[in-house]
Amino acid sequence: MKPILQVENLTKQYPDFTLDHISFSVPRGTIVGLIGENGAGKSTTLKGILDLIRKDDGTVRLFGEELTEDRKDMKEDIGVVFDGIHFHESLTPAKIEKISAAAYKKWNTQTYHDYLKQFALPADKEIKTFSKGMKMKLSIAAALSHDPKLLILDEATSGLDPVMRDDILDVFLDFVQDENHSILMSSHITTDLEKVADYIAFLHNGKIIFDKEKDELIYRYGIIRCSSSQFEKLDKEDILACRKKDYQWDVLVADREKAARRYKDFVIDNATIDDILLLYVKGDVLS
Amino acid sequence: MKSLILKDIYNIMHNMKALVLMLFIFLFITIPQGGAAAYVITCCILCAMMVVTTFSFDENAKWEKYAMIMPISRKDLVLSKFVILLCFCLFGTVFGGVLGIAGSAIIGRFHITSASEWQELLAVCLAGVAISFFLGSLVIPLLFKFGAEKARTLMLAAFLLPVLLCLGLYYLLRSFGIELTDSVVLLLTCISPLVLLLWTAAMYRISFGIFKKAEF
Repeated sequence: MKPILQVENLTKQYPDFTLDHISFSVPRGTIVGLIGENGAGKSTTLKGILDLIRKDDGTVRLFGEELTEDRKDMKEDIGVVFDGIHFHESLTPAKIEKISAAAYKKWNTQTYHDYLKQFALPADKEIKTFSKGMKMKLSIAAALSHDPKLLILDEATSGLDPVMRDDILDVFLDFVQDENHSILMSSHITTDLEKVADYIAFLHNGKIIFDKEKDELIYRYGIIRCSSSQFEKLDKEDILACRKKDYQWDVLVADREKAARRYKDFVIDNATIDDILLLYVKGDVLS
Repeated sequence: MKSLILKDIYNIMHNMKALVLMLFIFLFITIPQGGAAAYVITCCILCAMMVVTTFSFDENAKWEKYAMIMPISRKDLVLSKFVILLCFCLFGTVFGGVLGIAGSAIIGRFHITSASEWQELLAVCLAGVAISFFLGSLVIPLLFKFGAEKARTLMLAAFLLPVLLCLGLYYLLRSFGIELTDSVVLLLTCISPLVLLLWTAAMYRISFGIFKKAEF
């Protein structure tokens, strides 16, 4: 089955930054997390996918076809939440419903009102009275109420408290219960991605460092904590990335169990996505 | 398209009290001096300039970026600004016409029983829509190119341009010995809808050309 989103060699050049031949895909029924430090190119990638910027090279296939600005039918199937709300502050959720209902053929008023109720959002209050979290929830409600097949989220959970984030993540997990639905979400909150993502694509300096199954990363990857003398004994072929701290080395390996068998006296911890990201960004990448 | 018009109307309704207050202030300034005709033209131009406010609102909300992920094309978005401009011009002419007649009638400058005065005012209402739409159309490409803040500054210079062109044309015709007789004025009036249509088409194409290249 074709992936819902296929990005191939997406390239965009700016004077001070290049998004360099990005390729990854979002299979149907999955959540793909896009991680990377600030300025790594996550938002540029999402803009490239959504045709909000002119690509210098590469193709983006949504539902097997290339998205062009006149393909309104394809846009019907995409729900997007940016890192901030883009509705006017003087509007109310009730007015946003009327505006959205006029734009989307598949707009579902009942679904929208259900989300407003679930997120405790008043329908007749102006957006300017909302907190940042409420604004994000409103954006999510609007994005989910026209029966999209693909949700694209750019730091959508960043303004929410842990309880609300957990609720929203449950909404996302419910959304991908349908095998024809998928989510591509960029997030700094990697613990959220550890909870819900199926795949992780890691962007660094405009390039994809890896695009792997999340389980492989958190169940197979490991971090060897060792002294400088122990570090010298490590086979460099086993090292993905390493970083010297004050009194120890942190060494990222792709196969924790294999490393444990090979280096019996070494301390080897599970790797979190944060650990992996930090080692790739701040450490030395060997392979 | 409908959603974009709705969005602009909802946003402008929020500013409606200020607009109506301003139109009432102009009622007391304009009617005693220029009568209903001057008031209608003033209302049309003031209302047409509300299109600048809609751009300002959109910029603050970064709406265009969001609009482009909705099932809305760039053509729709550009066209919607011309449609909303026309709505504002029509609102201006109706508002100005009704209040202008009432105000002028109260001070005795408009006679409700005079058919010729009604005809004259109707012609002024149509001219008001045409002039304000013409000027508003001139501003829209500037708004797409430079944004609301810069466009506000450039607007006055932009308005001077057609005025200077018309004056230049007038003096050129006069230098060739062509006088603006009633028949010439009638001819110009008759072709003005076509000129306005061509003008709007040109401004739309320029606006779309600018917005087509926009990145978000």
